[in-house]
Amino acid sequence: MKAFISGSCKNGKSHYAQELAVRMARAQGRPLYYLATMIPHDEEDRARIRRHLREREGLGFETVERGFDICRCLDETTVSGKPVRREGIFLLDSVTALLANEMFPPGGDPDRNAPQMLAEELAAFAATVSGVVFVSDYIYSDAFIYDELTESYRRGLAFIDRRLAAICEQVSEVSYGFVKQHKAITNRGILK
Amino acid sequence: MVLIFGGAYQGKLAFAQEKFQLSDEDVFFCRADSAPEFSARIICNLENFCLYCLSNGIEPRELLRQNADALRDKIVIARDISQGVVPVDPLQRAWREACGRALIYLAQEAGEVYRVFCGLPERLK
Repeated sequence: MKAFISGSCKNGKSHYAQELAVRMARAQGRPLYYLATMIPHDEEDRARIRRHLREREGLGFETVERGFDICRCLDETTVSGKPVRREGIFLLDSVTALLANEMFPPGGDPDRNAPQMLAEELAAFAATVSGVVFVSDYIYSDAFIYDELTESYRRGLAFIDRRLAAICEQVSEVSYGFVKQHKAITNRGILK
Repeated sequence: MVLIFGGAYQGKLAFAQEKFQLSDEDVFFCRADSAPEFSARIICNLENFCLYCLSNGIEPRELLRQNADALRDKIVIARDISQGVVPVDPLQRAWREACGRALIYLAQEAGEVYRVFCGLPERLK
């Protein structure tokens, strides 16, 4: 089962995605992994990461820290030292952060091919593991005119979003806790 | 008329061309710096049409009204720019509001209205 969750910022996407991943793992009796994509830059970041880690432990998540080359997480161990099994359910929050890490490497030039590469890598990852929930950010409906590099990042994220929405069985848009299913699984198969 | 709207890069034009079996020759891309035409089957980038109108002292909704007959068999595609922070720049602010008025008018007139989200169309009307 593959799910893609998007919506505007700070409106309950992560919470919904966590619940969905927990339900998937419990229903199938599978290990549950959280793919942490944030690369900490200062103590404030590290404090936030520690807080999130504690919150997720209560829900049964094992955290895997992987800010780039996401498929390599399958060769690594969790923060608590356990092996990462492809039979698990993976929550990836967020595609937005992952693309920023891949496209804007610290100290290097922007990688303009990052969106295409990441779209293929995430599709391959989704095909390898038992279940995955992708979280992205809907940043496409404002009237601001961005600089060329920011615009290429936005275009790139949309390219990945469309690719993931095409391969996932569930596509949901979250607005302040309300969930709109653009594609959903029913007992008759894929709804639309 | 068919109205298709959605955020940037959501696959609006690809959906229109696939659904109505139209090629690139059937598409007119509105520009902010030149007058619109109403002859092609697909009129794309309505947000640019609105920007052109504002720069020339025209209310976009009125120009659409005046061309209602020509628009009757058309597919109009618009980028939704309504959901960000209120722009500081007065022209961008007026642009956003004019696009909103134009889309409300077109949505009323249209026989079919779609919103495209991450490549997935949803029929609203």
